[in-house]
Amino acid sequence: MNVVLNICRFNPGVDVKPYFQEFTVLVEEHNTVLDALLQAWQQDPGLSFRRSCRSAICGSCALCINGRPGLACQTLIRNAITEGGRITLEPLPHFRQLKDLVVDLDPFFESLKAVVPWVVIRDNHDGHMAPEVARKLESPATCILCGVCHAAMDDPGEVKPAAVVKGLRLALDPRDALGAARLQLMKVPRDILKLFIKDLPDRCPKGITLPEEVLML
Amino acid sequence: MLMHEVLVVGGGLAGLMAALVASQKADVAVLSKIYPTRSHSGAAQGGFNAALGEDDSIESHIFDTVKGSDYLGDQDAIEVLCSEGPEVILELERMGVPWTRTPEGRVAQRSLGGAGFPRACFAADFSGHVVLHTLFEQVLRRGIKIYPEWHLVELLMEDGQVAGVLAYDLARARLEVIRSKAVILATGGYGRAFAKTTNAHANTGDGMAIAYRAGAVLSDMEFVQFHPTTLYGTNILISEAARGEGGYLRNYDGERFMVHYAPQKMELAPRDVVSRAIFKEIKEGRGFEGQYVHLDLTHLGEALVAERLPQVRDLAIRYAGVDPARAPMPIEPAQHYSMGGVRTDTWGMTSLPGLLAAGEVANVSVHGANRLGGNSLLETVVFGRRAGHRAAQLARQEPWPTLSAATITRAYESWSSLLAGRGQGVQEDSTFAIRQEMTNLMTSQVGVFRVGSELEDAVNRLAKLKERYQRLKAPGGMQPFNYALMDYLEVGYLLDLCEVIARGALRRTESRGAHYRLDYPQRDDQNWLCHTFVRRGEDGPEFSNGPVKITRYAPQERGY
Repeated sequence: MNVVLNICRFNPGVDVKPYFQEFTVLVEEHNTVLDALLQAWQQDPGLSFRRSCRSAICGSCALCINGRPGLACQTLIRNAITEGGRITLEPLPHFRQLKDLVVDLDPFFESLKAVVPWVVIRDNHDGHMAPEVARKLESPATCILCGVCHAAMDDPGEVKPAAVVKGLRLALDPRDALGAARLQLMKVPRDILKLFIKDLPDRCPKGITLPEEVLML
Repeated sequence: MLMHEVLVVGGGLAGLMAALVASQKADVAVLSKIYPTRSHSGAAQGGFNAALGEDDSIESHIFDTVKGSDYLGDQDAIEVLCSEGPEVILELERMGVPWTRTPEGRVAQRSLGGAGFPRACFAADFSGHVVLHTLFEQVLRRGIKIYPEWHLVELLMEDGQVAGVLAYDLARARLEVIRSKAVILATGGYGRAFAKTTNAHANTGDGMAIAYRAGAVLSDMEFVQFHPTTLYGTNILISEAARGEGGYLRNYDGERFMVHYAPQKMELAPRDVVSRAIFKEIKEGRGFEGQYVHLDLTHLGEALVAERLPQVRDLAIRYAGVDPARAPMPIEPAQHYSMGGVRTDTWGMTSLPGLLAAGEVANVSVHGANRLGGNSLLETVVFGRRAGHRAAQLARQEPWPTLSAATITRAYESWSSLLAGRGQGVQEDSTFAIRQEMTNLMTSQVGVFRVGSELEDAVNRLAKLKERYQRLKAPGGMQPFNYALMDYLEVGYLLDLCEVIARGALRRTESRGAHYRLDYPQRDDQNWLCHTFVRRGEDGPEFSNGPVKITRYAPQERGY
């Protein structure tokens, strides 16, 4: 089937402001938005977008699909196509557009540092962990640092969602010496964290869930 | 000009492990063409082998690996790999890796192919991902400098010694020189040389090809692993853990056909054996639509699939429209891993002074002719650690190598000119067209089953593709985020490697591990119990043979 990709283009050295360009590509319903983008790239090798794993584990191809942030490689054409066979692709909101669909990720990765994003190992940790405790770490540990949760917020303000996920995942880890103190470190009010946790599974491409009990620590 | 005592190229498991260890004693930076957490190590699902179990032993892990390698692995390196396994797993545990646990709270282990015990430590089926992110956390903790989206383009040599690199910063569209005392390559494999591959778009063999161009010795490049179970069509990886947890392979008649190929190990025979079996079933008319077979998990129950194989389930639902808890998955073999690579010793030292390598880019050689599932992740952390240690030692002991203005100017000018796209160019040809022909050729003629005449034809056609490539003009010039320019360079790396792989495969007139010659179906220890070494000469690759290190296990017939 023919699909029209309506892609937000911007080359800071040349363009005064972003504009949209249409590409008609031939794809199947079960192909992904990334497959379509790779075809558009053949038509214009100057088109810039990040991609690598094509199986929703590396987080490179996060962008805005018809106004909703997601992963290009995880989104099937049949789920993305709108009336008239069109799909609109823009860079992630709340990130600075560097070129076409490529955004500045440095502030995003930098934001992790605020939550001490590593296990501060307890002196008396003996290498054991109860399996039911380990299971609680599983879902937040699947975070791929794609930035979609950040982009999906109406107004992230001072909340750095990926850092929050990392901080809460570490707070749940019995090996960690900081534990509950991490909630203070985040400097985000509990009611906002609660709302964030509630909305996360729908916004996150990996459907990450955090138990509400983490806020009771 | 930038300077770092140790420069790690590549931000996957081997690279980050090397950087962490080296940073304890030296100034270290990581240069990576994608952000480290985007590295393909993160796509590894199954687990890390280590003989932790009470019934298991390092001895048994060593033997399984030697036998799995079809006796081409170097046994001294395999001893290192297996002996250091347990301590590295516990080191990772203390760094914060969220391993799946046993009821007693120990690190849980599962069965993977070719292993005598459940030996692979795992975190559901996100094993590579969670370790990659844990190592990244530690890199942040140590404040290690990262150059993300910088592409290595050349190793700068002075008097036969690597004295730094020339790199291209994709965002700023600039060439930069980084001087260093030790460069560690951890750039992974070249899966994108093949049309059918589990590998990411980034896996274009850059480090291997750039080391080869600089004069480093590559070894055993003809040994290419084809993973038996990838989703039909997209070739997205379905972990060996699916079989480790009890999955069955079935043909069109519903038969567990592995009974005819590996009656004892069945689905958990090594990958080379299983991939050949699948292709044989398909070729003899027992596949589906003449294209694929089934991987059946339906008897395992939804709870186990959800708990142990959540990623596999998601991938199959999304990309194949099949819920593996309810219906069998359509699967076919595809290129997965490179056994060969830049030849190193057990401390990661290559044939070029100042250059080290670890992980898939390297050939140390622990996998020989066929890698066992769970051994590559282990290799990344064990030999990443050793390379980091050795590089830090070099940084402490050695003075800064000379790097002359003439060398820098020559490299800078020739690359500026190339990247700017000067020259004629051929309008009607493109990187895309050459890439497509190259990858189809590799999958169809340098794949699971090989034969002399087809390999010869492949060698000739690759030479023609190379001629066409040399007439291309670099596209788009030095502009920020010009991915077409990087694609152009990557296809050049792949063409160099394809030539080495295809010629190596043509040269080796026997069948061993993953290298199977229909015209020479037997293993030939008399003539070919040897490594293939290759170095770039004036007129292309120059091959020679090198001895295999055999310590305890003399070659036997390999049956499963």
